[in-house]
Amino acid sequence: MSYAYLFKYIIIGDTGVGKSCLLLQFTDKRFQPVHDLTIGVEFGARMITIDSKPIKLQIWDTAGQESFRSITRSYYRGAAGALLVYDITRRETFNHLASWLEDARQHANSNMTIMLIGNKCDLAHRRAVSTEEGEQFAKENGLVFMETSAKTAHNVEEAFINTASKIYQKIEEGIFDVSNESYGIKVGYGGGSGTAGAGRGDASLAPKGGCCG
Amino acid sequence: MGGGGGGGGENEMYGSMEQGNEVDYSAPLRHQEMSHSVASTSAVQQRTGSAGGPESEPSGVIDDYEVVYVKDNVSVHPTQNALGRISGRLRLIKQGSSLFMTWIPYSHGGISRQGSNVVIKGGLRNRMGSRAAERDRNLYTIRAVSLSEMRSIRRQTPPFGWQYIIIVLTSGLAFPPLYFHNGGVKEFLGTIRNHALLVRSAEDANVYLVNDIQDPLQRSLTSLELTEQPAPSAPTSSQEAPWPVVLKQETPVAAESDGKQEQSLRQIFKQEQRSESGRRRDQARDLSMNVLEKFSLVTKFARETTAQIFGESRMFLDGLDMDRGPVPRPPPGPSTPPDVEVLGIAKEARPLLENKHMKEESSSALNSADEEVVDDNLNADDDAEEQAATNVGTFELVDGTQDDTPALVWGRARPPPLGTEEWRSFLDSEGRVMDPKALRKRIFHGGIEPEVRHVVWKFLLGYFRFDSTYAEREYLIAKKKEEYEILKAQWQTVSPEQAKRFAKYRERKHRVEKDVVRTDRTLPYYAGEGDDNANITVLRDILVTYSFYNFDLGYCQGMSDLLSPILYVVDSESEAFWCFAALMEHLAPNFHRDQNGMHSQLLALSKLVQLLDRPLHDYFKQVDCLNYFFCFRWILIQFKREFDFENVLKLWEVLWTNYLSEHFHLYMCVALLKRHRRRIMDEQMEFDTLLKFINELSGHINLESTLRDAEALCLHAGERGAACIPPGTPPSIPEEEAGGWSD
Ligand SMILES: Nc1nc2c(ncn2[C@@H]2O[C@H](COP(=O)(O)OP(=O)(O)O)[C@@H](O)[C@H]2O)c(=O)[nH]1
Ligand SMILES: [Mg+2]
Repeated sequence: MSYAYLFKYIIIGDTGVGKSCLLLQFTDKRFQPVHDLTIGVEFGARMITIDSKPIKLQIWDTAGQESFRSITRSYYRGAAGALLVYDITRRETFNHLASWLEDARQHANSNMTIMLIGNKCDLAHRRAVSTEEGEQFAKENGLVFMETSAKTAHNVEEAFINTASKIYQKIEEGIFDVSNESYGIKVGYGGGSGTAGAGRGDASLAPKGGCCG
Repeated sequence: MGGGGGGGGENEMYGSMEQGNEVDYSAPLRHQEMSHSVASTSAVQQRTGSAGGPESEPSGVIDDYEVVYVKDNVSVHPTQNALGRISGRLRLIKQGSSLFMTWIPYSHGGISRQGSNVVIKGGLRNRMGSRAAERDRNLYTIRAVSLSEMRSIRRQTPPFGWQYIIIVLTSGLAFPPLYFHNGGVKEFLGTIRNHALLVRSAEDANVYLVNDIQDPLQRSLTSLELTEQPAPSAPTSSQEAPWPVVLKQETPVAAESDGKQEQSLRQIFKQEQRSESGRRRDQARDLSMNVLEKFSLVTKFARETTAQIFGESRMFLDGLDMDRGPVPRPPPGPSTPPDVEVLGIAKEARPLLENKHMKEESSSALNSADEEVVDDNLNADDDAEEQAATNVGTFELVDGTQDDTPALVWGRARPPPLGTEEWRSFLDSEGRVMDPKALRKRIFHGGIEPEVRHVVWKFLLGYFRFDSTYAEREYLIAKKKEEYEILKAQWQTVSPEQAKRFAKYRERKHRVEKDVVRTDRTLPYYAGEGDDNANITVLRDILVTYSFYNFDLGYCQGMSDLLSPILYVVDSESEAFWCFAALMEHLAPNFHRDQNGMHSQLLALSKLVQLLDRPLHDYFKQVDCLNYFFCFRWILIQFKREFDFENVLKLWEVLWTNYLSEHFHLYMCVALLKRHRRRIMDEQMEFDTLLKFINELSGHINLESTLRDAEALCLHAGERGAACIPPGTPPSIPEEEAGGWSD
């Protein structure tokens, strides 16, 4: 399918916070409580529309476990957006945010748009992290913040699409050199011919080598 | 593994890999370069030095070929009498990406005029005084057989006499033995090895399995993919045929001094089709092709023993050669049953008859009476071949229909799994496994029937010793159960008060609990939601207990994937625990925090790919993917996520035999990457697209054919493969700790 842009996302955060469920809710619009835990890095994709332009989101879902970080880290590079997820019912997943953020800042490109997600907000009765705390952390670190539920789908669309809007905005502002794929943005066919030199390139899977360099 | 000087931001592993490649690969590279220079030397010799030989190269027939191997005085011995020997020149000719073999008997201009002593280049005197002998000469000529048509080469070194080889074609036909009077078998095989995949058969060390040039797996795998579609009824065109079709290539050279014979095999094939007998033979061939497409051919190389080939060729000549001249005729061998002889003729006659036909077309030396006799023989051959093709059992055809990919690649279907009866036959009266190696070999090739799996796994995993008796195992089970209960009690007796002050325990238990409910829930054995399934609770208890048993390692994601099939098969909490613990003796490094176990395996994998598929390696290097992270999941949990549950069980028992290699899983990786190399390279997959592609292979991998490919690669790589894998790379463990693994 043709797209104006392709954005690469990465989802990070402690294990069990609901990263895979968020992805599945976003790509398949369903909540599957019974599914396999993520080993290494997995993948999902969906088309969205921003400013009436088709945009493809390519999303990398990572395993949260510490010991896999050396591998998951390598997928940070070349990501335009990141969803940093914690579980509002488990305080320690919130406490680990700083280390995740540090990891992301260190290994991703500096223009990466990061969205902070407090997931499982359907479990309000078990809440261990207040909304204000989440907002506060986001503010301090220059992140966009949102509480979601992968179960009820609350705010899931918004989380992914708001992130895409931010990235799109940065493109419009000329912050990205979209011809440089290390920003996690690829220009495709299909109407990206506005600013920032969109409309070049092609939608195929075959760019020239070395995007990861 | 010391980190290489990878630049800022680059991960360390990549740097060290690069370095490793430069250092460790010089040896095989040098070897390759050397072989190539040998080959090109022969090529030069052929083009310049052998002008004085008994035959000269036809010029202008084929422009673009290279003779990469020449050996004079390679002979066919149609009879046991030395006078009947036919000497000739054996050559390997490279044309484009294809390799052909020819064997052309020496001629002496007008040999048909009258027999005289022919002095052959090597100084060997050969007396061929009759028309019959000349006919033999032509009958045995091997014009050009493509390597893709070869199934195997048997090398035989008799205690007395010359080394010889027997070439068996994929169609099941065999050429008569070629005797190397001046040596050179090793060089011959070496040259082939430089251009094609040559694998020593696991069954018989004298047999080398041949596959096509350059990219053998790819080609055969392309064939496999094709056969998954409806099989073509009459494969005639070269590229699409799932089974290598005889005569599918233009012959690169018809190196006879007689210009009239310089026709391509294709032309001759067409002419054959015009004649009636030819058409009948084609039908027979098509029929056999069809059968071969649908079935796997289990080759019994034993059939092609010299004695048989001898008997068969002699019999063939006996029937054919009505007015044999002075060539002495040995008495017919009474030992071989007649029907086997008939089949033998059919099998062997194919290439001979083609050559014979060629002779008919181009030479007037044979009179009409001879031709009649010959035609009768052809008809008889048709019948025989038809019989061979349709009569299941004659060729030992194995039904491959339930397997969507017939065993075309290496000519051997996997035998049925080890069943109860056979398992018992491996045990002595007290229950000891008498020959662990034979058992491991058996399982490596065929796997285990589900009903005995639960017992045999305990041996393979090292929970039971192979040399233990029934009684000893009874005792072990009881003792280990007690031990397990003590370990389990260690964490189960942690009081809530204690837990409050025991963050590590809480955290571990919590992580295990989070993960067991996300493990194989689609399986009835673990079905349900949350922890409402007793087996999920057992998974949890074993994993938490293990994290106390091996407190330094603790719990890591992926362990539940490894435990789940074990518990399912063993179906006993304490025994599953000990089996899992035994497996973890090998795989714990996969879960080390620094990931050293994973990194060393990924490094070994990169070296294996470099060895076994240099272009793919170069491609990965070019796109900066030498860290092989895209194979991470494959290795971490032994392909657990790549196959359905049943196939995971089948794969694991093969891996755990350690039969060909302790690192057979790495050859599985290479086999899979090789299978998809074309797409990977054509679509220029990179770091992320590659991972996506590899992840999405899950559920779409044919286990049987991947196992066969991996086996072939492992055999092919041999010592050089083993040298790619540093000692201590998981799942290896030091010898003294090996326990039940050693035998
Ligand atoms: N109630 C509730 N449960 C959730 C939600 N998201 C995920 N879960 C549950 O949390 C567990 C872990 O989710 P998963 O997506 O596998 O976490 P990951 O390790 O971050 O990928 C699963 O068992 C889900 O059922 C949510 O929004 N609400
Ligand atoms: Mg996940």
